[in-house]
Amino acid sequence: MPFAGFNMPINYKTGIINEHKNVRNHSGIFDVSHMGQILIENNESYLHKLEKYIPLQLKKLIKNRSHYSFLLNKDGGVIDDLIISNIDIKDKSYLYIVYNASRKKEDEEIFISCAHNAEKIYNKNCLFAIQGPDSINVLKNIIEIPNNMNFFDILISKYNNNEIIVSRSGYTGEDGFELSIPNEIAENLITNLLKNENTMLCGLGSRDSLRLEAGLSLYGHELNEKITPIEAGLSWALDKERLEDENLNGNKVLSDQLKNKLSNKKIGLISTSKSMLRDGMTLFDNNNNEIGKITSGCFSPNLKKSIAIGYIISEFNTDNPIFCEIRKKLELVKINNLPFVKKNYKKNGSIYE
Amino acid sequence: MGAYMSEKKYTKDHEWVSIENEIATIGISNHAQESLGDIVFIELPSVGNSVKAKEEICVVESVKAASDIYAPIDGEIIEVNNNLENDAAIINQDAENEGWIFKMKISDSNQYSELMSEDEYKQFLEQ
Repeated sequence: MPFAGFNMPINYKTGIINEHKNVRNHSGIFDVSHMGQILIENNESYLHKLEKYIPLQLKKLIKNRSHYSFLLNKDGGVIDDLIISNIDIKDKSYLYIVYNASRKKEDEEIFISCAHNAEKIYNKNCLFAIQGPDSINVLKNIIEIPNNMNFFDILISKYNNNEIIVSRSGYTGEDGFELSIPNEIAENLITNLLKNENTMLCGLGSRDSLRLEAGLSLYGHELNEKITPIEAGLSWALDKERLEDENLNGNKVLSDQLKNKLSNKKIGLISTSKSMLRDGMTLFDNNNNEIGKITSGCFSPNLKKSIAIGYIISEFNTDNPIFCEIRKKLELVKINNLPFVKKNYKKNGSIYE
Repeated sequence: MGAYMSEKKYTKDHEWVSIENEIATIGISNHAQESLGDIVFIELPSVGNSVKAKEEICVVESVKAASDIYAPIDGEIIEVNNNLENDAAIINQDAENEGWIFKMKISDSNQYSELMSEDEYKQFLEQ
């Protein structure tokens, strides 16, 4: 399947549902090398410029920790969502940022404008995610992982004398790791991991159903330039002090949104029949008034029903029934708290020093 | 299932058809099943409906997408495979036997002869 300029597998041999279950119960490996990876020198002037777009206090980020954040436009809309980490590589301090393949052009324009020598590393480093409760054991067999490594910790480890960036993170709701591996050793490392019978290669299909069950947003679906992180229910990821800072894009819009009522709210939905809820379907109240749209939908292998994330108008009282138009028929759907499946992370640390 | 006496034929929309005593049994081809991936739901057609060839009559939903199933020939739906209601994945396991979807009484057997043979369908897939 073509995806952001890459030819990506939706699934490997055993199919989406089997891959999905293997990640929830054991572990699975995703090739996410299509994503952007960039290194920006940890230099005060660069960080100040980046703070115009990124709603964190970049100068205070703890070393060897990662954070979920955004690039924001002037209206507080999301240019992209990303993972940003503070890490030393060969004795030099960097911000290491992983961002969406579909947003490389927009993101890199910003990164380069803030730090002219920002170094894109995705042409020389592959990115793989190993996800699921067994990931730690599968990975430990071939790479050294300290016992006290927590979710969103990041460090440099070694494989065959090559440095790899290892972060305890991912986008499935399970414990797991992302590995930035030099191209020359990537195939060898992954082949080695796959010798373990508790893991398998997984494609984009299960990646989507896993993140949806975990209630995680996907750029182009729940997030876009017209939606702010607050409207997307992600205000936890904003540094509230930064909202008072004129240097942050959209800071006024965002602090107003925090104080006032939003026009839309993000909800989780679950099908009451066997029909599948899909991206773009329209939602109605019981008087046939349009109240919102689905932004992502899939079959949930854990719940054995279709689940979805969407936006509805805030005035809508969610005690009332919601209907989804599926092939010209209105079907009752139920609100379900996000996430659909409980996250299973290894406990978190704090954000700043 | 040895009950299907006639040669199995195929449509360009990836349905298979076999005929016995003017009753056609219809399902989706193994190729269609493979490209759809895990099938999670099928909306079966209504028994008693008269349908025309190429008419959309039911829908299979896989984890990837919804896909319409068309009537391969004119006729009346006389039976549906109710086992699929509870377990649509039977189609993934055995698309061209146990995974049959519906039966119809056909009105024009010439339409059947015009469909592709197994060899012709294989060639069609290679194009």
